[in-house]
Amino acid sequence: MGRGEGPALALALASLNRRYGQGAVRSGGRAELQGQPTGIGSLDLLTGCGGLPRGRISRLRGGDSSGAFDLGLQLAARVSLQLPVVLVDFSLDLDPGLIDAYHGDLDNCWLVRPRSPAEGWSAARALARAGVGLCLVLARDWPRVTPGAAPAALLAALSESGSSALLLGGGPLPAELRERTSLELASRRLGWELSHGDVCGMRLELTVSRSRLAAPGASCRLRLGFPRPYPTQPGPEELAGEGGEEEEAGLGLLLAAGAGG
Amino acid sequence: MTPGDPRRLACLSFPHLALLLAWRAHPELCGEALLVGGPALGGRRSVLAVSDPARALGVREGQDWRRAELLCPRAVRLQADLEALAELRRQARLALSGCSPMVEWAADSSAYVDLSGEERGRSEAVRAAGCGRALREGVGLTPGVGVGQSRFTAWAAARSAAPGRVRIVPPGRAAEFLARLPVAQLPISEATVERLLQFGLSSCGDCASISPAELQRQFGPEGLLLHRLCRGQDPARLEVWHQPPPCGVRRVLAGGVEDAESLRFGASELAQGLAQELALRGRAAGRIRLTLRGEEDGGGDPRAWWSEVAPPLPLASAGDLLGPLLGLFGRIHPSSPVQAVELEALELVAPPRHQEGLWPGPGAGRETVQRAVDRLHDRFGKGLVWRVGIRPGHPGDVPEERLAWSSR
Repeated sequence: MGRGEGPALALALASLNRRYGQGAVRSGGRAELQGQPTGIGSLDLLTGCGGLPRGRISRLRGGDSSGAFDLGLQLAARVSLQLPVVLVDFSLDLDPGLIDAYHGDLDNCWLVRPRSPAEGWSAARALARAGVGLCLVLARDWPRVTPGAAPAALLAALSESGSSALLLGGGPLPAELRERTSLELASRRLGWELSHGDVCGMRLELTVSRSRLAAPGASCRLRLGFPRPYPTQPGPEELAGEGGEEEEAGLGLLLAAGAGG
Repeated sequence: MTPGDPRRLACLSFPHLALLLAWRAHPELCGEALLVGGPALGGRRSVLAVSDPARALGVREGQDWRRAELLCPRAVRLQADLEALAELRRQARLALSGCSPMVEWAADSSAYVDLSGEERGRSEAVRAAGCGRALREGVGLTPGVGVGQSRFTAWAAARSAAPGRVRIVPPGRAAEFLARLPVAQLPISEATVERLLQFGLSSCGDCASISPAELQRQFGPEGLLLHRLCRGQDPARLEVWHQPPPCGVRRVLAGGVEDAESLRFGASELAQGLAQELALRGRAAGRIRLTLRGEEDGGGDPRAWWSEVAPPLPLASAGDLLGPLLGLFGRIHPSSPVQAVELEALELVAPPRHQEGLWPGPGAGRETVQRAVDRLHDRFGKGLVWRVGIRPGHPGDVPEERLAWSSR
C-alpha cells in the first residue's frame, strides 16, 4: 500500500483485484500486466500489454466472414509453437486440422469436446490452472453454454497460473462473462485478397471495442492469408508490403484455406 | 449396484493358519496326519487345526484333544504358537483390507470379501483373483477362491477350486451348482446329517427337491435353514471386520445423504483432512480409496460402495488429492442414502521431492498439461479431451477421417 492509501481504499482495491483479476486497478506508471505475445506486432501494440493479457479473459468477435475465426485460430497456431494450447469447442464442429494448416504444432494442442457446458468449463479451468499458454474457447451461443459461476472460476484459474484465454464466436456474452472480459477486439472485413482469380486471403480491420488495459478505440489493419490445398499458395513475401502503412508486414506468413469466419 | 442386484461374495479358502505355521516350522510334516492343539479352556484342551489325513479319520476342529488322540493315534501332535498365529492373522487381514473395506475373517481358514460394492468396471473374476493375489503376496498363502451370491455358495465354490484358481457361480445358478454337494458339508448339526443320510438324502440336490414344509416337519427350524442352504439362499450375514486404515479420514453424515452433488460438496474438506494426516506422518499416498457407507439392507447386511485409484505420482497436498477424489466420487453411484464417507491412503510412500502443480506458470510443459488431462479423464471419462494428428495420405476430407484422434 502506497502513501496516502487508507484502509478503505486498500480494501476496495483488493476487492476489485479479486473480482476482475490481478492488475485490474493499477497505479499510474507501473506496467504490471504482461501479455502473451502473438507474434503480430501491431496486434501486440493494440492490446496495450504486448499481446493477449495473461491471467485475463479476452474476446475476439466479428460477424460472418469477418475473419475473426481464422485470426483466432492463427493466434492459437502461433502460440502452439511455443506453449501448450487448449481448444475448448462448445460448438463441436471445429476442425483442429486448421491448426496444422496454419503451421501450428498440433502435438502441442489439446481439443476439448464437452458433453455438457459444465464439463467444458471444468476442463478449461483445470487446464488453465495447469498453465497452458492459451485457452481458446469457441461457442455459438454464449448464454446457453455459460453457467453462472463458470467465468469467475475460469478467471481465478487464469490469475493463478498466468495463462491467457481467448473467447471466439459471435453473439452477445452473458453478463457474468462480459464483466470478466478484460479485452474485446472487433474484427471487420475490408476486402478479399485475390490471386489469379482465386480468393487467397482477406484484409481486415481490428478495433479495440472494450478494454480495461488501455484506451479503447485503437485499431489496426491486417492481411490474412488462407491455407491453400495446392503448393502454389502465395508466400509471405508476396503478400507482405503490398498494403498500406497500417498493414502488418509478414502476417501473410500465417495465413492459409477455409472461408474467413 | 442397485437394490435389485444380487450380492456377490468371494470366499477365500486356505489351510488353517495354525497348520501353515506348523508346516513352516516342520516342512517334513507336510502330507502327514497332524493335530495342532489350541489353548486350554476350562482345563480342557481342544483341537485347533487338523490336516487332511487326520480329518479323514474323523478328527475335527474344536474336538476334545483326548478324543482326537483316540481317533488318530498315529498323528503328530503339536501345540500352536499363539503369538505367531496372531501376527500372521493380522498380516493376512491387512492384506485383504487393501482389496475391499468389506471383509470378514472366518476361523483362520477362510475369509469373505464383498465384491458387489466396487465401482470400477473390473470383472468379477479379476476382482476375486486380486483378493487371492493380495493374500499370496501378503502372507504367502495361495487360497482357492469361490464367488457366489451367498456365503455358503461362495464357500462351496472356494472349496472346489484348486489353490490359486477362481471358481465363479453365476447369479441364479447356485442351486444347480450345489446339487451334487454332499449333505455332510452343510453347516448343520451332525444329527441332522445322519438323519438325512438315513432318509437316503445324500446330496443338496436331493434336499432341494423337497418342500420347505416337509423339511420343517422332519427337522424343525433347521429344516428351513436346510432348504435355503441347498438352494443357495442362506441368510447368513457378513460380519465385517473394520480395520482402522493406516491413514484416513471418516466423516459421518447426519441423516444420510443421497444427492451426489451434496456428497461432492464435502470433497474438498475430505482432501484437506487426508492431506493433514499425510503431513503429520511426512508421507504421501500411493493409492487412495473412497468408501461410501450406507444403511443396512433388508437382510441386515451393511452396505458400502467404494472405488480406488493409484495415481501416477504420489499425492500429498489437498490440491493434488482433490482431482482424483472428485474422479472417485464420479465413479460411485450409491443406491441408498450414504451415512458415512471414508477416504483412505492405502499405500504410504515417500512424498514427491517437489510440489506438483503448485505454481506451474504460463510456460507449463506438455507433461504438466497431460497430467491435468489425465485427471480430467479420470473425473469425466474418456472422450472429453482429444489429441489429434495428421494422417498421412489424405484419407478423407472430413476431420474424423483426415485426422488421427486419440483421447489418451
